[in-house]
Amino acid sequence: MQFVLAAFFVVAGIAKIADPPGFAHEIHNFGILPGIAVNAMALVLPWLEVVTGVALFLGIARRTGARILGILLVVFIVALSVNLARNRPVDCGCFGTSTVQKTDAERLTEMKLVILRDVGLLLLAAQILYATRREERA
Amino acid sequence: MRSRRRRPFWVEAAAFVALALAAAAISNALAAPERRLRWIGSYWKPGTSPAGKPTPGPATAPSPAVDAPAGAKTFPPHPAKAWVEISGEEVAELYARKTVPFLDARRTSVYRDGHIAGARPFSVWEADVDEKVKAFFAEGTDQSAPIVVYCSGGNCEDSHMLAEKLYLVGFDNVLVYKDGYPDWLQRALPVSKGAEP
Repeated sequence: MQFVLAAFFVVAGIAKIADPPGFAHEIHNFGILPGIAVNAMALVLPWLEVVTGVALFLGIARRTGARILGILLVVFIVALSVNLARNRPVDCGCFGTSTVQKTDAERLTEMKLVILRDVGLLLLAAQILYATRREERA
Repeated sequence: MRSRRRRPFWVEAAAFVALALAAAAISNALAAPERRLRWIGSYWKPGTSPAGKPTPGPATAPSPAVDAPAGAKTFPPHPAKAWVEISGEEVAELYARKTVPFLDARRTSVYRDGHIAGARPFSVWEADVDEKVKAFFAEGTDQSAPIVVYCSGGNCEDSHMLAEKLYLVGFDNVLVYKDGYPDWLQRALPVSKGAEP
C-alpha cells in the first residue's frame, strides 16, 4: 500500500518540478491562495511530495509520511470541491500542466473523478496509519 | 529493555518541510530562466490590482489615432482602466497598421510552438516578466499608443495580468485580444514559430 501511495506522489511531484511556472499558473487558477503565496507554494509543494514519497517508499518515518500525504490529499479535495461548488472548471495540475485542450464540461467531470481518486488515496494513507499504529507506541 | 523514544509528528514533519524548502531553493536557483519563479508572486485577480497606478496619466500627450489610416477605427488611451478588451476584427485592423506592438503573455514554450508573427514573448508566469516590462518601457514606446496583448482566449487571464503590469508602469492604451491566439489561427492570419518574433 505504502509503495502505491509513495510512487503516486513521487511521480506527481517530479512532473510538477519540471515546470514550476506552469504549476504556479494552475494554483492561481484555483483562486484560493493569495497571489503572494502562489509561487512559494508552486516551488515547495512538489518537493514536499517527492521528499515525503521517497521517505515513505524507503520506510523512513512512515507514519509521518502517511499523515503529511493525507493532509495534502485533504487540501486537494477541498480545493477541487470549492471550485466545483463555484462551477469554476480548473485543471487539477496534479501531474503538471495539461497540454490537452478541454471543454468546461470535460474539466468539471475530470475534477469529480480526481476527487474520487484522491479519496481512494486518502483511504490508502489511513490504511498505512492503521497498519503502523504500533510504531506510534514503540 | 528500553524502547527508543519516538520523535513527535511535528518534528519529523518540520524536517520534511525543511528538506523540501532546501531542494526547492536549489532547483529554482539552477533552473533555466523560463522555468524559474520568483518566491514572492505578484499576481492578483485581474481588475483588482492592490496597487494604484504610480504615474498619474500619460507622460506624453494623448494620441488617439496613432498611425490610424483615415476613416479607421480609433483606439483612444484609457488612463482610468488597465485594459480594454477588443475583438478579432479590431486586432486584425491594428495588426495591419504594422506599428502596433503585439505582446504574447503565454508561456515561452507555447510561444515557440506558434505565435502571432511579430509578437514578442512576455510570459506573465516566468521570473523575468517584470524586467521585460521595464525594458519595454525603457525602449521609449509611446505610452498612449495602442499595445495588443493576448494569450489563449477563453478563460485565459494571462493577457489581463500582463496588461495590468504594463498599466502600472505607465502604459495607458493596452488592448486585450479577448479571444486570443486560437481566434487568430481561425482567421488564418500570419503566424511564426520559434523563439524569435
